[in-house]
Amino acid sequence: MPTTPNASPEAFELRGVSKRYGAIAALDNVSLRFPTGGNTALIGSSGSGKSTLLRVLLGLEWPDSGEIRVDGAVLEPAHVLALRRRVGYVIQEGGLFPHLTALGNLALLPHHLGWSRDRIRQRAEELATLTHLPPGALERYPAELSGGQRQRVALMRGLMLNPDALLMDEPLGALDPIVRHELQDELKAIFDQLGKTVIVVTHDMAEAAWFADRLVLMRNGKVVQDGRLDDFCQRPADPFVTRFVRAQRTLRGVSS
Amino acid sequence: MKRAWLVVTMVLLMPFCAHATPVRIGSKQFTESVILGEMARLAARQQGMPVAHQRELGGTAILWSALQHGDIDAYPEYTGTLTHELLKNVAPDADIPTLRAALKPLGVGITDSLGFDDTYAIGMREDRAAQLGIRRLSDLAAHPEVRLGFSNEFMARGDGWPGLRQRYGMPQTQVRGLDHALSYRALASGAVDAIDLYSTDAEIPYYRLRTLDDDRHYFPHYEAVFVYRLDLEHRSPAFVDVLKKLTGRISADAMRQLNAMVKLHGEKETLAAADFLGVQPDGDGANLWGRLWRRTLEHLRLVLISLTAAVVIAIPLGVRAARTKRLGHLIMALSGVLQTIPSLAMFVFMIPFFGIGTWPAIAALFLYSLLPIVRNTYAGLTGIPPDLRESAAALGLPRGVRLRRVELPMAIRSILAGIKTAAVINVGTATLGALIGAGGYGQPIVTGIRLDDTGLILEGAIPAACMALVVQGLFEGVERWLTPRGMRLEARQ
Repeated sequence: MPTTPNASPEAFELRGVSKRYGAIAALDNVSLRFPTGGNTALIGSSGSGKSTLLRVLLGLEWPDSGEIRVDGAVLEPAHVLALRRRVGYVIQEGGLFPHLTALGNLALLPHHLGWSRDRIRQRAEELATLTHLPPGALERYPAELSGGQRQRVALMRGLMLNPDALLMDEPLGALDPIVRHELQDELKAIFDQLGKTVIVVTHDMAEAAWFADRLVLMRNGKVVQDGRLDDFCQRPADPFVTRFVRAQRTLRGVSS
Repeated sequence: MKRAWLVVTMVLLMPFCAHATPVRIGSKQFTESVILGEMARLAARQQGMPVAHQRELGGTAILWSALQHGDIDAYPEYTGTLTHELLKNVAPDADIPTLRAALKPLGVGITDSLGFDDTYAIGMREDRAAQLGIRRLSDLAAHPEVRLGFSNEFMARGDGWPGLRQRYGMPQTQVRGLDHALSYRALASGAVDAIDLYSTDAEIPYYRLRTLDDDRHYFPHYEAVFVYRLDLEHRSPAFVDVLKKLTGRISADAMRQLNAMVKLHGEKETLAAADFLGVQPDGDGANLWGRLWRRTLEHLRLVLISLTAAVVIAIPLGVRAARTKRLGHLIMALSGVLQTIPSLAMFVFMIPFFGIGTWPAIAALFLYSLLPIVRNTYAGLTGIPPDLRESAAALGLPRGVRLRRVELPMAIRSILAGIKTAAVINVGTATLGALIGAGGYGQPIVTGIRLDDTGLILEGAIPAACMALVVQGLFEGVERWLTPRGMRLEARQ
């Protein structure tokens, strides 16, 4: 991973990856590189394959063809558990387990790895400060937390082991606009502060541009354009890019 | 929790292991058979031999297979049943020496006739028979409107209804299966016009019945005899002598009177048998509470062992089913099929494997308890939202840890509900265990139905209902206690 001196400059790489669900191609011969320490936003309409892309990176799905490389080495089933522990994964709605308190959710993996209770609590409180989780919320069950708080706890759970990379699938998709706006700011600050490899999936162009310099637009399992916001606006690869950007711009114009 | 179950199981098993008596007599689930069984037991006791009597073990098939498996050593039987039901290649009117020769290769001995012939007969209410002018069985051919009610055994067996219909060319289409113990009441109330009965039944004079003349000699002789395992002649020759001394002593009239003593005058079978032999009866000694306590223990043992085994097997099966789709379908289909087997049949199916008594009943109850638990475990696990399951996987937890720490706790409610359903069904179904000698609350119910004694039926039915309620309450408590608090909260928006 990026901390080792002779590591590959690519945290993740897809080489000619295809994945089909029945007749639908979720990923169609995709090749992409995610440099270590960089922030990338995957955008596209629902069903474009962007969530599948995240999931093949973690071995939650296996490609039909092509290969995934992590730190330059081909991903194999035997290495999946170790990989997942070095990568934080946060999904829409947070994916918190309702039978455990916030702290219980955070403690699951560290406890399995033999961390002491004190060490777990100390780390949890550290992250509570980082994510502005109110005091006392650690003892509550997910059902007793607000949507924003749940998302903060999910982020904390992803960061518990201080992973090298953070993969987020529509992390703010289920939140109301005000909380969402607030969390966008906080997330951005956290990304900048931690300097980790970050891949965020979103369908909101504005949010994507806010989080990351590099945008990757996907459609029907293919990468349509890979570049900066400027490129998307000035040098669209395809009329679809323009349509996608326009649709978002209109919304942005109305809301701000 | 697991350890507690184990201790309970062992404690309940202990009395079972301690029981072992040298000679065991069985009897079928009707009064005459029970009286004859008691007679053999009392006569043996008179000779200083301790003999156990397992009463009311259901029908012929159960007794016969129990005899062959050595779960019982002797039981009262009828020659007609031997020739028609139990032995192949024997003439329907074979005499006792012929039967003796045919039974010998099976390791079964037979006494001479006890002195009476308890054959099947068809009976009608005197007034109804007179009104239709029916005296003989052949008269029935002209009255297709006559409604028949036959015991289930008579309906099914070769020497019963199928053969009778053929012999007399009977046109009746309204034929109902009835429990023999209830059929007199059905006849008296006019719900049916004719029933099968036995020629020594106490109710024939009581209900003013006309037994129809078997003018084409369809019904074979049903001489009462004892059949016994031939190895008894070495193990306990004195007991075989006791059985032999009973032969030729009981006339049909005497038998009818003994039956009447029990069925119509409410005496105990033991008393009737002792009265006939001229010996002192030995009551079972226990009062109502003593009996209740013993049956409660027997019933609890059936339920706890079978349910514990079902939980231990069914939860892993449910987990497997939830994990692999195809295997899941197979497991669900199989446990579903088990559930469709009628409960009494299930109990009987277990006899070849486990003999009679507690173990076949436990095996049958175990099989019945599987489906609710497997299904609810499966439903609980597959009901977990996929994104939560994926979140657990994405954390990097191994599969076993995910199952233990995330999936099972989230499915616990459903699993417990399945165990609760299984337990309540189990408590009810366990009453059938009495028919194969497992005891429990079913014992007074079986006897009560046979003797038409509501009090006795309630003596089994009320405690069984109470136990079901207690089990239900208990599991609701356990459910509340084991369900994580976070699962009981409504999500905040």
